[in-house]
Amino acid sequence: MDLLIPDNWLREFLITKASPKEIAKYVSLCGPSFERVSKTKYGTVYSIEVTTNRVDSASVLGIAREASAILPRFKIAAKFVEPKPKSKQKTTKSAAYLKAIVDPKLCFRFAAVLIENVKISQSPSEISKKLIGSGIRPINNIVDISNYIMLLFGQPVHTFDYDKIQNAKMVLRASFPGEKLTTLDGKTHRLPGGDIVVEDGSKKLIDLAGIMGGENSMVDEKTENILLFVQTYNPVNIRKTSMTLAAGTQACMLFEKGLDTEMVEPAIRSAIDMFVNLTGGEPAEEILDIYPHPFKVKSVHTNIDLINQRIGVALSKEQISNTLLPLGFYPRWSGKNISVEIPSYRKDVSIPEDIIEEVARIYGYHNLPGKLLSGEIPQALKNPLFAFEEKIKDFLSGWGGVEVYTSSLVSKEEAGNNALKLKNPLGKEAEYLRTSLMSSLLRAAEKNSGITEPFHLFEIANVYLPQKNNLPQEQMTLAGIFADYSYKAAKGIVEALLEKLNINYKFIPEDLRGFLPSQRLSIKSGQIELGQFGVTESGPIYYEFPMKNLQNYSDDFHSFKPVPKFPAQIEDITLTFPPKTKTGEVVQSIKSADKLISNTELTDIYKDSYTFKVWYQHPSKTLTDKEVEAIREKIIKGLKSKFGGILKSG
Amino acid sequence: MQERDLREEISNIKNEAIAQIMSAKDVSELENIKIAYLGRKGKLNLLIKELKNIPGDERKHTGILINEAKNTLIEQIVNKKNAFKESARKWFDPTIPGHKPIVGHLHLITQAIREISKIFEDMGFVRVRYPEVEWDWYAFGALNFPENHPARDDWETFFVDALPSPKYGPMILTPHTSSGQVREMLMVKNSPIRMINIAKCYRRQSDVSHVPMFHQFEGMVIDKGISMVHLKGTLDYFARNFFGSERKTRLRPSHFQFTEPSFEIDISCNVCKGKARLPNGQGCRLCKEGWLELGGAGMIHPTVLINGDIDPNNYTGFAFGWGVERTYMMKSGLEIPDIRLIYSSDLRILRQF
Repeated sequence: MDLLIPDNWLREFLITKASPKEIAKYVSLCGPSFERVSKTKYGTVYSIEVTTNRVDSASVLGIAREASAILPRFKIAAKFVEPKPKSKQKTTKSAAYLKAIVDPKLCFRFAAVLIENVKISQSPSEISKKLIGSGIRPINNIVDISNYIMLLFGQPVHTFDYDKIQNAKMVLRASFPGEKLTTLDGKTHRLPGGDIVVEDGSKKLIDLAGIMGGENSMVDEKTENILLFVQTYNPVNIRKTSMTLAAGTQACMLFEKGLDTEMVEPAIRSAIDMFVNLTGGEPAEEILDIYPHPFKVKSVHTNIDLINQRIGVALSKEQISNTLLPLGFYPRWSGKNISVEIPSYRKDVSIPEDIIEEVARIYGYHNLPGKLLSGEIPQALKNPLFAFEEKIKDFLSGWGGVEVYTSSLVSKEEAGNNALKLKNPLGKEAEYLRTSLMSSLLRAAEKNSGITEPFHLFEIANVYLPQKNNLPQEQMTLAGIFADYSYKAAKGIVEALLEKLNINYKFIPEDLRGFLPSQRLSIKSGQIELGQFGVTESGPIYYEFPMKNLQNYSDDFHSFKPVPKFPAQIEDITLTFPPKTKTGEVVQSIKSADKLISNTELTDIYKDSYTFKVWYQHPSKTLTDKEVEAIREKIIKGLKSKFGGILKSG
Repeated sequence: MQERDLREEISNIKNEAIAQIMSAKDVSELENIKIAYLGRKGKLNLLIKELKNIPGDERKHTGILINEAKNTLIEQIVNKKNAFKESARKWFDPTIPGHKPIVGHLHLITQAIREISKIFEDMGFVRVRYPEVEWDWYAFGALNFPENHPARDDWETFFVDALPSPKYGPMILTPHTSSGQVREMLMVKNSPIRMINIAKCYRRQSDVSHVPMFHQFEGMVIDKGISMVHLKGTLDYFARNFFGSERKTRLRPSHFQFTEPSFEIDISCNVCKGKARLPNGQGCRLCKEGWLELGGAGMIHPTVLINGDIDPNNYTGFAFGWGVERTYMMKSGLEIPDIRLIYSSDLRILRQF
């Protein structure tokens, strides 16, 4: 909740020599946050942010009370002055001027008073300046009084034209779904039902309580008699109505936080005083006050050890009492135990931790020393998945990959089958939880279509696989996309990654939707598919692996192979093959031709000629040319019978 | 050959070489001299082969002499080379642009997460991750949010179109990493907890300072005797290591459902050094009175501990949950006009980090 408070208004209730800057600085450290101190032509104005649990300080009086408790902690004297209304009317449960039937579940306290013969005019400048400083436009004395009281107490006030209330009767009840009401801003609302409304003797709705008055009962220039109306409503109903009607009036922002029923009486009496002074109105002799469950003081019990242990600083009983008293709490000690009476306006305080908070913040959080954790180190072990993810990211970015973070929320077309749908998406393009990273990465590549050089994007992110009667399985997935990379260069990166991770894998060509026919590989270890790689229908090359597959099949430790003591014989062999020969299979075939072949690489392709580099290696001797020749013969024979490969002479 | 002769020969060869070096006209001439005297079959190396014919001590002395002669010649050749003018030198262009490999990039968020988790891991925190698609109970109910709290509205939180759990309520996208708090407590049970949970979160808002999918890091400590002073000490340690040794933190009052008390954490401004004024006398425009808002924190609410099966009479704890994006931008001084750009796939942006 943000509020504007003029400095001179605050000082009517806060006696202090602190400068506006000091007030802002010090109160912010221990209480509501002063966001700005501005000099306007109406004087200095504070912009203040109040947390939602502290509706009691969302007013001039609330801030004055907080400041009076906080400033002395900074050695600046400060005193809170409570308003003393002159109105001495008695309160009554029934009044001749209004027959009221009130649902006590909707309205915890219902106060109203008739004021006759009001004269509508401009407010004096002293009043209108305060309103303008607080961000509210002055209208006329009647409206201004309502706003003035609301800003001063944080208690909304409404005024009806008394003569427009048929039969001087009011029924405060929950609305029925579909009932209609036109509010004083001219808007007609069709009510969702369960809203707090007031109907008059003719069964017309005349007020959308807590939100805005009805147009048919509003004060106008001909108004002579008004009904001053001050209530505490059930915050749940107010919030529901304000959400469904999107009505963010200041009144409903206050009501929906739950107001102090005890504030109704000083507020209505102060308002009566103002009506007497500013409009010449004559108030009725009694205030109608329907208050079936009056406030009962509650106490919270705790003890000094708990307070000091939680704060981490040793405070004396006196110090503790001195922080609580100026806030309106009443502490009573009995040995180490303390019982704290909670004032009516502090509905947020109900457990010992709340008392500890009050003591600590007034003592000053900024005064707390810092201490590093000591004690036992937790036994929980590191999850190795995190380090594994980081390792993969380092490899891929080291080989030129650029990491992206794309949105988990995608369109229906991009989401894959059976994807989970959002009930309240921000748009059609972000309506589903993705079950694959493919469309997100294709989109990311598409976004860079203006880039002329080759690029490789990758991402490690969850995909969300629905499960019956349960949360989806969140599967951490590695995926990447290559644009303008050669097939060999792209595949080489995936091969290098799998080798770096020490995964035993093989590529099996297998077609799948989304990829060009014959251009997709399933990457397997045994019968298990670890992931996939291939050329997508839209062009870029894509790969994807569930991280748990990579992790499960990655061997952390490479077994040690002794370095051969004797040099390998290395030679190039060039062969021609008929069209449509699968070179991956040729390489496999060479490697398995003899156990003395330690490695084979395809090093060059020219037309139908393929050059392979072959390493011949015996563990315990240098192979003779003759021995190598025998193995070479074996290779060539095998390639001829399997693939029709012919050795190129010369 | 006699030893004395050998010594004389070394000296002769040396002098002869120096004379040739002195009169050399260009680099290729020097290269030839180098080969003639210092090469594998050069004059000095041939002498080394004779050493084996000389007895013990004498051999050592002669060896030293040969090495000294070699070093002198190397030095002379280098000096001579450097003395040549540009035209007599061997042409080489050291300014030629390098041939770079394709340079990859880790995403800004990855870099931030690494730095953040490292600092907390140094303090014994263990990194975890909990569901992004979560039950209402873990995200709100268990964290002491009342039934009608605004955060539970479909206005702020994404709801999944799925059957609600009879026990845990509607299925949502978690709006904060705090949903991991009670899950962690239930998993770890009563042993001390130091958790750092870094994960994706989702909120139903999109503008220059909000992106529907973002990252938070959540720290949580539970142990016997944990107090506000520990929270302050832990955050100070983080701030000094992450932002710089001269930075300080400050706690201010705030309000969150799942912590009591709750704090707003400020960090001293790096531009004005916490003084709120610049050296030229002008007010600092980056911060408020020398402080910048970092994020929220608090002592874990007893109700939350109870929901995590932890006895609040024996254990206390603190927690904090901050945006990774904002925290990292505050450190680096990066001024990104629209936070949504962080999640752009545009290489022109990604390659900047």
